[in-house]
Amino acid sequence: MIFENMGFYFREALLSFRRSTLMSMATILSITTILIIVGVFLLISINSSLFLKNIESQLEIIVYLEDNISQAEINNLKSNIASIDGIKEVKFVSKEEAYQRLLKDLGEQKDILSAIEKNPLPASLEIQVKDPKMIEQIANRIAEFKKVEEVEYGREIAEKLLNFTYVFRRAGMLVLALLVFASILIISNIIKITVYARRNEIEIMSLSGATSWFIKWPFIIEGFLQGFISSLFSIIILYYFYIFAVDKVHQAIPFLPLVVDNMDLLPIGIAIVLLGSLVGILGSMFSVGKYLNV
Amino acid sequence: MIRMFHVYKNYPNKIQALRDINIHIKKGEFVFLVGPTGAGKSTFLKLIYRGIVPTKGQVIVDGINIARLKSGYIPYLRRNIGIVFQDFKLLYNRTVYENVSFGLKAIGATNFEIRQQVNKVLNLVGLEHKRKIKPHLLSGGEQQKLCIARAIANEPLILLTDEPTGNLDPYTSWEIMKLLFHINIRGTTIIMASHDKLMIDKAKKRVVRLERGRIIEDTQRGTY
Ligand SMILES: Nc1ncnc2c1ncn2[C@@H]1O[C@H](COP(=O)(O)OP(=O)(O)O)[C@@H](O)[C@H]1O
Ligand SMILES: [Mg+2]
Repeated sequence: MIFENMGFYFREALLSFRRSTLMSMATILSITTILIIVGVFLLISINSSLFLKNIESQLEIIVYLEDNISQAEINNLKSNIASIDGIKEVKFVSKEEAYQRLLKDLGEQKDILSAIEKNPLPASLEIQVKDPKMIEQIANRIAEFKKVEEVEYGREIAEKLLNFTYVFRRAGMLVLALLVFASILIISNIIKITVYARRNEIEIMSLSGATSWFIKWPFIIEGFLQGFISSLFSIIILYYFYIFAVDKVHQAIPFLPLVVDNMDLLPIGIAIVLLGSLVGILGSMFSVGKYLNV
Repeated sequence: MIRMFHVYKNYPNKIQALRDINIHIKKGEFVFLVGPTGAGKSTFLKLIYRGIVPTKGQVIVDGINIARLKSGYIPYLRRNIGIVFQDFKLLYNRTVYENVSFGLKAIGATNFEIRQQVNKVLNLVGLEHKRKIKPHLLSGGEQQKLCIARAIANEPLILLTDEPTGNLDPYTSWEIMKLLFHINIRGTTIIMASHDKLMIDKAKKRVVRLERGRIIEDTQRGTY
């Protein structure tokens, strides 16, 4: 019964769009504005999240090796470490490489090394972990391996950083939740106004003996279309705005990591479409319900 | 067709709009519901189309107890009842034709049925030549006729009219009355709330008198 009449409901919804063009346009404009605000926040938050990840990934464990370690033992140790859960990468740095690095770092001042005959630097393994939260645990395990002189991971910095990113993410989520909640309220109120404008029609339909679903469907479709069209508008506007903004930021700070892959931006688009369409549908459904109980 | 047993209606603000109403209205009857403003006439009519439910007592319409009617069945009750509202409830952004077709569309009538019925009732009330204009360009009497056309488009068993001649001159009022008698003769049960003394005395129909929510008189061929 519902789907038999779908064509009719769609025609009714479109007709009402045409009958009150100005109202529909105002509605779409308002919803678009709200969705753009949500979208800007989402874009800021995925970029901050990328930024935090980037900082976190710079945390690494450095394992200094004993001087008497053999090549076989190094290989053995490397593979033992690599088999620990949560290890991303293990990189060997020989005594010679460490020396070269130091030379490079010292630059002009490299003369001070000439006083020392033998290379004093130990060979090391530089380890990157998948989840920075695991860094302490993994470092403690590695410390127990043989031929390991010392394990270093900048405990204090790591802890502070992880604390900071944790709080930052939580705060972001809270703000996001509030923003989404507010946008749901605002959009459903905008929809409510469009339904209110037609409360007489709803009342007459109901008194003529129309079933409540027959009355609701055109409004639901109209609400959906208003939400959906608004979300498409806001996505288009956000997209061009974002490309422009990324360009400007990169001109100012060339190496700042920003989300530019369209596939990474897609979830935001989907979220906006869902937010617009669902609130459009549910908002009109509840609003009509209010005027149905004549 | 309509029976009420010990019906009471209290509004949330503690007003007792109806008290101990007992009545039996047979199929095809024409009944005037008279009484001063605030007597409970509109409330009485609302009970019949289940715009409200009684606080106490039973209202039976065409064999259906409206207090126990599940909300899903209300639409089907209302398809048997035409209503002419005291405040018209016309859609002023739609044409005369659309005002009538609107209700038929709402109950899923086919385009053919809609065209046929709308033309028929607009002819009956004499508005066929004004089908394309908006209601605000109609006179009061014409708007009332449009309301009647809309109410009977679905050929209901019962027609409820709430003070349809309230604001009209005697000549136009009598025109409206004749229209209602005509509809009544074709078998539709009509209840008309009114305090239009002239029309009621002239009509010589059953008169049910309400005062402060009670029926104080019920006379066949009565006067105001
Ligand atoms: N929706 C309502 N809420 C509260 N009181 C109402 C409502 N409708 C009517 N009343 C009151 O009930 C009484 C009867 O009203 P009504 O049935 O409209 O009388 P009538 O149609 O005879 O003028 C009046 O006192 C009126 O103020
Ligand atoms: Mg009244």
